[in-house]
Amino acid sequence: MLILLAAIFLLHLACIAVLLAATIHNAWWMTNTTSIDIWDWWVWGDGKWNNTEIPSHYPQAYLQAVQATSVLACIFCILGLFVFVAQLYTLPKGKRFLFTGAFQLLAWLCIMIAASIYTDIFHRDEKGWYGASFILAWISVCLTFISCVTYFILRKKTA
Amino acid sequence: MAIFSILLSSSASLSPPASLVLELPVTSLPSSQCTAISVYTNWEKHALLGSDVRLSCSFFSWHWTSSEVTFSWSYRADGAKESTTIFHYTNGAPYIGTKGPFKDRLDFVGNPNRRDGSILIRNVDYNDNGTFTCDAKNPPDIMGHSSNVRLLVFEKVPVQAGVITGAIIGVVLGVLILVVAIYYLMRFLVARRVFSLSMSRHGKKGKGKEGSQQRQASGHLPPP
Repeated sequence: MLILLAAIFLLHLACIAVLLAATIHNAWWMTNTTSIDIWDWWVWGDGKWNNTEIPSHYPQAYLQAVQATSVLACIFCILGLFVFVAQLYTLPKGKRFLFTGAFQLLAWLCIMIAASIYTDIFHRDEKGWYGASFILAWISVCLTFISCVTYFILRKKTA
Repeated sequence: MAIFSILLSSSASLSPPASLVLELPVTSLPSSQCTAISVYTNWEKHALLGSDVRLSCSFFSWHWTSSEVTFSWSYRADGAKESTTIFHYTNGAPYIGTKGPFKDRLDFVGNPNRRDGSILIRNVDYNDNGTFTCDAKNPPDIMGHSSNVRLLVFEKVPVQAGVITGAIIGVVLGVLILVVAIYYLMRFLVARRVFSLSMSRHGKKGKGKEGSQQRQASGHLPPP
């Protein structure tokens, strides 16, 4: 039983770590010399990365929507961890971790919205490849979904 | 007597001071005060293509506004080396340049008595991007710096960084907190109603029991 609890806790921590990495690291789209999104444009020049301004034709509104939803996903996942620990102590025996599951569900919704908007709107016909943060964002979609389902199924151990 | 003047900073916007007031101690001449005029304009002005933009200019001077106050606006296009005068106000009358890029589009909307020398440019175009310089003189206060305002013309208003992000995050978190608060409030109210109902039921039963106990107790009193 303790091993199951530890595994679920570790899964939740893994969700948080992957979400934070996807949100913070500016590597959703890469080319040979650039590493961009969702916060900054980085261009490789003179042997180091230089921060450049986002060009004006870039869809700013969609970019800010992706920023907002990925930040919200991080917030909900971290709050869910605290709620899980609280529910461990306060939940009556035999009940499900619904509150924690709700937070994970919201986190899953938010990061799915972020990843979907980014995939559909940005870099449709450009040369380059998707960077590490983009892949981590989609991985976190799967992880948060698994975590959410786990919390909806899990019941607190009866005596 | 020494005269010290205070350091003033530009009040128009978050920008470095447009001009400084010089301080000069005067020892033997009581009447001549060497103070300088400070001219204020915006730092930058953003305008939509085809709209009218008002470039405001005002000044601070230690002297009363004289009748010989002058305002002078000049324009230097982005990338050009020289600037040309486009407007001049003197002797109580405005003079708009008859040649130049603004000849039919410039209006004087200022009030020199109130120290306002603003001009209005109608129907701005991308060619109007550049730096406008306002120079005001209030005799005998003629020393001072002029002030520049940069005009930027946009096709559509650019979205400021982070406005939409902050709005989405704020609204979602706000709605969530509201829902949680309402849920706990409903639970609290329902629990209180259930509690008060059970109290009233318990109270009626309790009174009945107490009354019968009292009658029994009085029945057991020994006769005097």
